[in-house]
Amino acid sequence: MSGYWHIFRHELFGLFISPATYVASFYFLALLGIGFNFFIEGFARTDWILPPISSLIVGLTFGAPALVPFLTMRSFAEERRLGTLETLMSAPVDPFALVLGKWSASLIFFILICMLAFCFPLLLWLGFPDQAISLGFNQVEHWVGGFIFLSAFGASFTAVGIFSSSLTKNQMVAGMLTFTLLTLYLAVMAFNFGEYRDFGSPEGLDEFIDICLGSLNQGLSKAQHFAVGIIDVSTVLHQIVLSLLFLTLATLKIERLKH
Amino acid sequence: MNAEAKRLPIVDVINLRKRYGLVQALKGISFSIGNGEIVGFLGPNGAGKSTTLRILSGIIAADSGEAKVCGVDLAEEEGEVRKHIGFLAENNPLPEDLRVIEYLNFRANLKGLAGSRKRERIRLALDACDLERRISERKIGNLSKGFRQRVGIADALLAEPRLVILDEPTIGLDPRQSAITRKMMERLRGDVSFILSSHILSEVEACCDRMIILSHGQIVAEGTMHDLQKMFINKTVFEIVSSNRRIDLHRAVRQIDQNCELLYDDPVEISKKSRYTFSTTEGEGKAEEILRALVQNELLSISEFQISRPDLETIFLRATKKNWENQDYLGRRKISRPKLLDSPSIHLK
Repeated sequence: MSGYWHIFRHELFGLFISPATYVASFYFLALLGIGFNFFIEGFARTDWILPPISSLIVGLTFGAPALVPFLTMRSFAEERRLGTLETLMSAPVDPFALVLGKWSASLIFFILICMLAFCFPLLLWLGFPDQAISLGFNQVEHWVGGFIFLSAFGASFTAVGIFSSSLTKNQMVAGMLTFTLLTLYLAVMAFNFGEYRDFGSPEGLDEFIDICLGSLNQGLSKAQHFAVGIIDVSTVLHQIVLSLLFLTLATLKIERLKH
Repeated sequence: MNAEAKRLPIVDVINLRKRYGLVQALKGISFSIGNGEIVGFLGPNGAGKSTTLRILSGIIAADSGEAKVCGVDLAEEEGEVRKHIGFLAENNPLPEDLRVIEYLNFRANLKGLAGSRKRERIRLALDACDLERRISERKIGNLSKGFRQRVGIADALLAEPRLVILDEPTIGLDPRQSAITRKMMERLRGDVSFILSSHILSEVEACCDRMIILSHGQIVAEGTMHDLQKMFINKTVFEIVSSNRRIDLHRAVRQIDQNCELLYDDPVEISKKSRYTFSTTEGEGKAEEILRALVQNELLSISEFQISRPDLETIFLRATKKNWENQDYLGRRKISRPKLLDSPSIHLK
């Protein structure tokens, strides 16, 4: 894992000095904030059964295809276009450390944006404590559950972005590919939303596939558990496996560039 | 190359091969580079120079063959090899949005330098490349080509490498900046081995101990300038400036060497004197013998005599010519034709 820490710091620094990241983050947070405002204002009239904070989790999850490409598309595509990847590879750096460093920087930035989004209910709580308590914002487990859910899915989303970026020299293509893959992934989860199956007694191919995929296709259903503070460990593990899969594919792609 | 350098090769390449799709970029090249040597890598575009240098720096892998750097096999311990190498890639790609000092700091960290040693090495690398403090605080994207190139070289020198690979280091530089690069290599001569790939032949001739000429993925010539001159130019050419008539001078020369030829029938006129160019197959000794005889001849007036040695460009063109004619655009061997060379005595590896 030679060079991981330095790559991570360098990438994080790169994200902090990139105007594109700030512009994307600003618009993303602004739209999320407006949406959250409307949701809270009309919460009493909705039939939303989950805590109001879960609206942020859903908003961040469905908004991720628009945000993650901006965080990840430059990572390898730009390095390959400029040729700096070659210079990087001439240093004693392990390719997996390189991929992991870039991915963790993107993930940290994604988590940072999530934390900024969590400032909306926090500000509401500070400004209007009574209303915030009536909306359940004082339930710490809701915050923790939502944060873990977003971190787990953020990990796999950014891993998909890093993998897409490793495939091409054009960062626009990398961005579009990330957007497409994440949208597809969310569409699969949306179609399977609410179709709960008992994994304990597998019968037939469908059940077997469900067991194999687990939260990969039932992610949004699992979001309901996280929103009320129930940590579904299998969901977290599935996302870790998915992240590792895409990071390994990205590493293989980088290794392949040597041949 | 001295005897010690021969015993301790810093680079040892045996039968290295590399193919890109249909093109066989390297066709089994073998060479070694001694400790502290400066070796010039020459060849026309597409000869395989950059491929060889990229393999040696661990950026790409060879299809087959063996390459050892500092005694470590590249295929087995690539990471270890990279610690001993400083590499300046062709076109010198650098991140535009970082300051010079930030970039060198990042590169030093990647190369395992830390603390006071890191600061010291960065300072030395900046000094070696004539990069002042004012420049080191500027963004790389705002630097001129020359300064960017120097930043690339400073990066290559950061971790006290035993081998520095410079792929076209002076491309696009003005003569003053090229001279700075040469001076830097001169300063490090003996301590660090250099592989210098360049199309600027005068530069290679000026600073390299030895040259390796590649063409179509093969080494077509290798050796010191003197070796290459002997290998490729079998005639000694000398010039005489005299006020005598051509026929008298030619006769006098022929009396000493029957095979000596006057190369141009119309001599160059210089202030009522003429410059005649002769060639002999008998070597420089014969040319000196001719000079002595001409000076002793009272009927002749010789004001200048000069043995002209072929420059690297002539050698380069001769070395690559046959190989070029023998290959098609994919680097495959064409069906041989009976007459390919203008000089039958050229020895090709």
